[in-house]
Amino acid sequence: METKKRTPYLLIGALFYLVIPFLYLFLADFPERTTLKDGISFLTIGAFFLMLGQFYLTRINKVTLKGNKFTKVIGKHKVIGYVFIPVLMLHPFLVVVPRYFEAGVTPYDAFMTMITTFQSSGIIIGLIAMALMVLLGITSMLRKRMKISYRAWRLSHGLLSIIFVILATWHAIDLGRHTDVIMSTYMIIMAATGIFFLLRLYFLQPQLKGGNNE
Amino acid sequence: MSINSISGCIGCGTCVQSCPTDVIRLNEKTGKAVIAYPADCQICHLCRMYCPVDAITIAPEKSIPVVISWG
Amino acid sequence: MSNKEKQDKEKRGLSRRQFLGLAGGVVGAAALTTIGMKVQWNTNEREIDLENFSSSIAETDILVIGGGMAGLFAAVKGHDAGAKVLMVSKGRLGSSGQTPFAKGIFAYDAAKESMSLDEFTDTVTASAINTNNPVYTRQMAEHSLERVNDLKEWGFFDSPLYNKAFSKPIDERNIPVMERIMITHLIKENGKIAGAAGFSLDETKIHIFKAKSVVLCTGAGGFKPNGFPICDLTHDGTVMAYEIGAKVTGKEWNDGHSGSMDNPAACYDGWHGMFDMAPSTNTIDVHHDLGMEGNYSAYVLGNPVSSGPGSVSAEGGPYVPDGFDREMEESGAPSGAPSGEDDGERPSGPPPGEDGGPPSGDEGGAPGMAASASSGGASAGMAIHKSEGLVPINEKGESNIPGLYAAGDALGSYMAGGIYTQIGSSLAGSAVQGAIVSEAAAEYVKGISQPSISTSTISSIKESMLAPLNRDSGYGPAWVTQTLQGIMIPNFILYIKKENLMQAALAYIEELRDHHLPMLRAANLHELRLAHETANMIVSAEMKLRASLMRTESRCSHYRLDYPDVDYKNWQAWINIYKGTDGQMRLEKQLFDAWPAQ
Repeated sequence: METKKRTPYLLIGALFYLVIPFLYLFLADFPERTTLKDGISFLTIGAFFLMLGQFYLTRINKVTLKGNKFTKVIGKHKVIGYVFIPVLMLHPFLVVVPRYFEAGVTPYDAFMTMITTFQSSGIIIGLIAMALMVLLGITSMLRKRMKISYRAWRLSHGLLSIIFVILATWHAIDLGRHTDVIMSTYMIIMAATGIFFLLRLYFLQPQLKGGNNE
Repeated sequence: MSINSISGCIGCGTCVQSCPTDVIRLNEKTGKAVIAYPADCQICHLCRMYCPVDAITIAPEKSIPVVISWG
Repeated sequence: MSNKEKQDKEKRGLSRRQFLGLAGGVVGAAALTTIGMKVQWNTNEREIDLENFSSSIAETDILVIGGGMAGLFAAVKGHDAGAKVLMVSKGRLGSSGQTPFAKGIFAYDAAKESMSLDEFTDTVTASAINTNNPVYTRQMAEHSLERVNDLKEWGFFDSPLYNKAFSKPIDERNIPVMERIMITHLIKENGKIAGAAGFSLDETKIHIFKAKSVVLCTGAGGFKPNGFPICDLTHDGTVMAYEIGAKVTGKEWNDGHSGSMDNPAACYDGWHGMFDMAPSTNTIDVHHDLGMEGNYSAYVLGNPVSSGPGSVSAEGGPYVPDGFDREMEESGAPSGAPSGEDDGERPSGPPPGEDGGPPSGDEGGAPGMAASASSGGASAGMAIHKSEGLVPINEKGESNIPGLYAAGDALGSYMAGGIYTQIGSSLAGSAVQGAIVSEAAAEYVKGISQPSISTSTISSIKESMLAPLNRDSGYGPAWVTQTLQGIMIPNFILYIKKENLMQAALAYIEELRDHHLPMLRAANLHELRLAHETANMIVSAEMKLRASLMRTESRCSHYRLDYPDVDYKNWQAWINIYKGTDGQMRLEKQLFDAWPAQ
């Protein structure tokens, strides 16, 4: 009985990865900016949390995925990947877009200053995270053409993801416009939870290593 | 205060340079811009306009801090 | 005991706050004093280590001080004339002083204008009631188009921000630019200029510059008024030149900008979007703008000054020459909209200073006029552009000190005279003068060798430069500035002048000069800057009062309630100020049609 009951995992996931952060964004006292600027911020924040939510949509989640077909879940994992990766890839450009519509430095000059501010660890970490994200995206799309086993791919995908998520979270907390103490703490908790369960899967429960959806 | 907030700063230091009245400094530990001397802000918005990531929010009000007599 | 140890020791004792909390007031303070404890009322809680001050020496042919419009052209044209140039600036190139806010630049195109250069010059002279120096008026118009074309090439007209366009010619020529260094002293050795000295705002470092020639492009200044973007301008160049014997002029004139009653300190908002605009050019149209009419009206009728249709104007007041009275323009609207604006969409707010756009001056028009009531004194402490500054001994911006030149608002060229006559001419004049002056400086340096600066000179300069940091107690620059503003900015002192009130104000200013200036303290480099700025404002205030007392007439932007008429018999003259051999401030007349006696 119990095993047949499907948990509404998407709703639960949306609660943690979208509803809570956005509820906080609206309730907290962040300076209000133009619709375009706030829109870009929210898009980026949304993409970031979708990225964190990727942990949730894997086999490490043994709670809320119960009863759901894993191939479907991993399908969602893929779709979400295809959504947040382009947004996060574009976000450095999106940051400077509003400059087209107002007086100030040109978007080009702003962008060049931004990506060459190497005295800022946040920028360097962001650039590395960006490279890792692109790598994760490409290796996912080309997985079937790669001459490695699924298990080896999955292990590398997971380990790479851990490094990526740590750097991306660090970058977001360091440079984010909306990452105050509460938001930062929430991001760290969500990232750390995912990383913890993934590492536990790898190192503490070797019996689960075998994959069955290849 | 004149400059309301600086959020999303990447620490490039452009605002520090661009402020005619030396209001903004980079925090030595974090490397981020801070409103170090708000009393001297002339609300000219150059910092905001030069900021590559548009991190600075400015309000037109200015509350001038109390200057102690004979201080 | 090192300073650090000393500080630490002081910290272990009572802090000022603790002290106030515990003792709370005079009684407690007196009690503590009697038991032999130091009253830490004005203790300088130093944030930096004085032992760590390093110093560096740089050498150049021409030292350009200031990174605005005049400084840009001084650096570029001096370099192109073959001299080794170094630029040093308190702020950032194109982002300090008034230049960043100047949006209109005058360009006289001989091929297109119906008015000849001579006619233009004569019209300005008529509006300025002879206060202009026609040599500089003509020079500005004659070269304005060339400078505008240079600026076009550098991309100046493409952005509301000027740093990039200014950097282009500087970078192309590899001209060294040192930013965020406040120059506090000019150095004179053997009767000639030998360099300058200042300190960095970012590190505990003193900079000594050896130079064969110095071109001051330090702009004008004010009393850090609310509502006008001149709070970094405190006549620094003028005062340090005065200290080494240069003659200074133009202190009795007033810029008459008024400010908005809504958020009066907000310069950006007060200009209604003008700071957001890319610059554009203005054409010939001679005015008599931003004089004392508005301030007179406010004095007689009270604030706020209303202008526009149906407004009551006060009887009497400053004389406006025939043909320049714009009070009754057809529209009846405030005559604010600067003419000649290309896009015609410029808000009625006036362009601030350097931009030359004195707009709606006639009726006390001001930034913010359209949106809210206005109040006078926005630019308090500043004279008409190009009227105050170093006295030129010729048409090339040379001062009475060999090797010391000035250009732009730091030069008392009287390009427009004691009144605004031409929108956009201020920015154009800075560009034109910067180029001409530094070409003259480049010629001057050819014949001379690098001056040497004695170590005793350097050490005494260091001592005076860092003195506010060294004081264990004293007066904070914020307090002294606020006191000075309270003395100088009232309209019955600065704008609508009377002998007895100016004498009274002078007594206060002399007190600040004699007792506060020598006791200014600073806890950090920002405050050190403020301390020097405050000292410069005190000297400037004294100059303004003495010149205004001496000029016993009213003309252009100088208005005396006790001498309300133009005095053509006695006052066809400018006032020069210099430091006498006894250290006292001396004033002299210089006839309108003469260069100063050498």
